Amino acid sequence: MSYIYAVSRLRGMENHILDSAFFSRLMDSAGIDEALKALGETSYSQWLTGTATGSASFDKAIDSEILATCEELEKFVPDKELLTIFRLPYDFHNVKVLLKGLFKVRGGDTEGRRYDLLSKLGTIDTEELTNAIETEEYGFLPYGLTDVIPQCWQLWDSTKNAQAVELLLDHQMFKAMLNVAESLKMPDVIQWVKFKIDAENLRSAVRLARMKYDSSKALPFFHEGGTIRADDMARLLNEPQETWSRILSYTDIGSVLGALNEQSDMKAALSDVSKALDDYLMKVLERAKYSMDSPANVLLYLLTKEAEARNMRVALVCVAGGLDREFGRRLLTNGR
Amino acid sequence: MLGLSLALFGAALAAALAGIGSAIGIGVAGGAAAGVMTEDPNKFGSCLILQALPGTQGIYGLLIAFFVLNKLGLLGGAGAVDLTWNQGLQILASCLPIAVVGWYSAIWQGKTSAASIQMISKKPEAMGKAIILPAMVETYAVLALLTSILMLMGVQVG
Repeated sequence: MSYIYAVSRLRGMENHILDSAFFSRLMDSAGIDEALKALGETSYSQWLTGTATGSASFDKAIDSEILATCEELEKFVPDKELLTIFRLPYDFHNVKVLLKGLFKVRGGDTEGRRYDLLSKLGTIDTEELTNAIETEEYGFLPYGLTDVIPQCWQLWDSTKNAQAVELLLDHQMFKAMLNVAESLKMPDVIQWVKFKIDAENLRSAVRLARMKYDSSKALPFFHEGGTIRADDMARLLNEPQETWSRILSYTDIGSVLGALNEQSDMKAALSDVSKALDDYLMKVLERAKYSMDSPANVLLYLLTKEAEARNMRVALVCVAGGLDREFGRRLLTNGR
Repeated sequence: MLGLSLALFGAALAAALAGIGSAIGIGVAGGAAAGVMTEDPNKFGSCLILQALPGTQGIYGLLIAFFVLNKLGLLGGAGAVDLTWNQGLQILASCLPIAVVGWYSAIWQGKTSAASIQMISKKPEAMGKAIILPAMVETYAVLALLTSILMLMGVQVG
């Protein structure tokens, strides 16, 4: 099937994406019952049962909705690798969950395994992945996991540092994402993956700056493959944050850091920059909206759906938990 | 006989190239229409109009081919007229505007129609504008048709 068909179909599907007005209405719900009633008219209603009031059941419903979307797209998108780029982070999330569970089990915590945290959104079946990791048979695992999981074990045995293991997996995840994007030979998609790596690096830089982390030891926190080199990112930590946007002015993503200059409270800055980076990554792909057959539209649709799911999670958790609605509204991303 | 062959080659080009262009254009627009209608079958009417637009070039090519065949006396059983190679070449040249412009414009009109179909899937109320955009491409197919007709009328045969 051609991308003209696929993109046209996505245009039709976009009409069903929930807009900001809906989320605003959802946030204004008096309680979870009213919120679930509002959801009755949406595609989420099929996954939400009447008794669903906790964040775990919301997560399951939201995952089911995204999974159904991925399965639907797989039927008509010519290059399945576009879906792989979207789903790959969920595979690595699952690997992290399984490894951390096993680390705890080895440390004597027999209840350490958290299968409930596994996501079905990955490309590798969760049962197969669990078996592979528990039996240490990694041979069939894709995306370089065959090599990186033994490295994770070695690192854990020598350092007992779970964060270092996570970083090693993140490095491999971005490397695999870039490999998949490059195999597609689609410039828009390759550029987006590079910007995603930049965005993740910037997020890490803001976090490290907040912790006043020593820049000479920061290099392992940054991923290679973006448009900004990892060591340039690490060097940012030597500079005052208000100058970062000027230092990175040669890149598109530098403009996002404008939010930092206006925030003195670093906690607020972190969430604002994080939100601005998410919006920026969407904006990069939104250029594809003007093309009737650009494959990047597939990725744009998936990210819009993911943003919708994220907003749904924020709204439902806020309403169910009786949390501050204004804070919740600030966390909503610009989906549609 | 060379003159007649050249003239027939011109008629064949006009019908074939413009027809191929229309087929591709309609195919492109049809792909978009199928995508939109999978999600919203109620848009069949609007999609059909937009999908049909790139079909006109094929008709223009056929019209010129009939015009040439008529000029050559091949329609109605009167028998073919005698043509010099120079006259045959003139008829071939007259067919080229609709053959070439018809071919290209139909493909591009198909792409514009596909984009318009995507537009009405999000904004059904913009149907009028959605028709105008691919219709702009039609202008150049009509100009090429007129050029071919005027050139053919200027060629003296028999």
